[in-house]
Amino acid sequence: MLPLSLLKTAQGHPMLVELKNGETYNGHLVNCDTWMNIHLREVICTSKDGDRFWRMPECYIRGNTIKYLRVPDEVIDKVQEDKNRSDRRPPGVGRGRGRGGGHGHGPDDASGRGGRGGRGGGRTGGPARGGGRGR
Amino acid sequence: MLGGPGLESVVDQIISVITNDGRNIVGVLKGFDQATNIILDESHERVYSTKEGVQQLVLGLYIIRGDNISIIGELDEELDASLDLAEVRAHPLRPVIH
Repeated sequence: MLPLSLLKTAQGHPMLVELKNGETYNGHLVNCDTWMNIHLREVICTSKDGDRFWRMPECYIRGNTIKYLRVPDEVIDKVQEDKNRSDRRPPGVGRGRGRGGGHGHGPDDASGRGGRGGRGGGRTGGPARGGGRGR
Repeated sequence: MLGGPGLESVVDQIISVITNDGRNIVGVLKGFDQATNIILDESHERVYSTKEGVQQLVLGLYIIRGDNISIIGELDEELDASLDLAEVRAHPLRPVIH
């Protein structure tokens, strides 16, 4: 899963953004782009020390100033829904289906898919986490 | 194991990240991209101090921008479980100076 797909899925959700200068911005994500530039609404900005606050109706943050984003836990499940939807496409319709016999490719592909399957079931329970590790 | 040059091999495993501002964040790697932006699920920060044991702050679901990442390492779960973090004392890391 790509970080920017998760971010895109988080549209409409509340999030916390910390910038490289230590300021944090709490607000609802309106939109974002492939540079991680983000548009927030109903924002509370907090200074680096956490002692000063500003409210603003909206703000636009340049992606390269961001240190990290904290998004609600449930957003990651919604990305999977989107992915499943595209997976439901009938087999053989997409490009790149017919080349499966290649050398290095098969095993890699298979292990990737196994991991994905485990993740879907295990998110709430936790056991999926241990499942991937060979002991 | 961190087998190849990429992070594919540690997706869905627990990793430990050191950020440029000297924080240590542990969580499950859910995804990454060309710029080493990463998705960390069920993440928590480990705060080191010389006065008291390691504090663990729950962070949840995080997207960390690649610019801010110094080191990503696979976490040895068995070794980690054998640590008593409450007894560990260490200096906090200083931020990276560019």
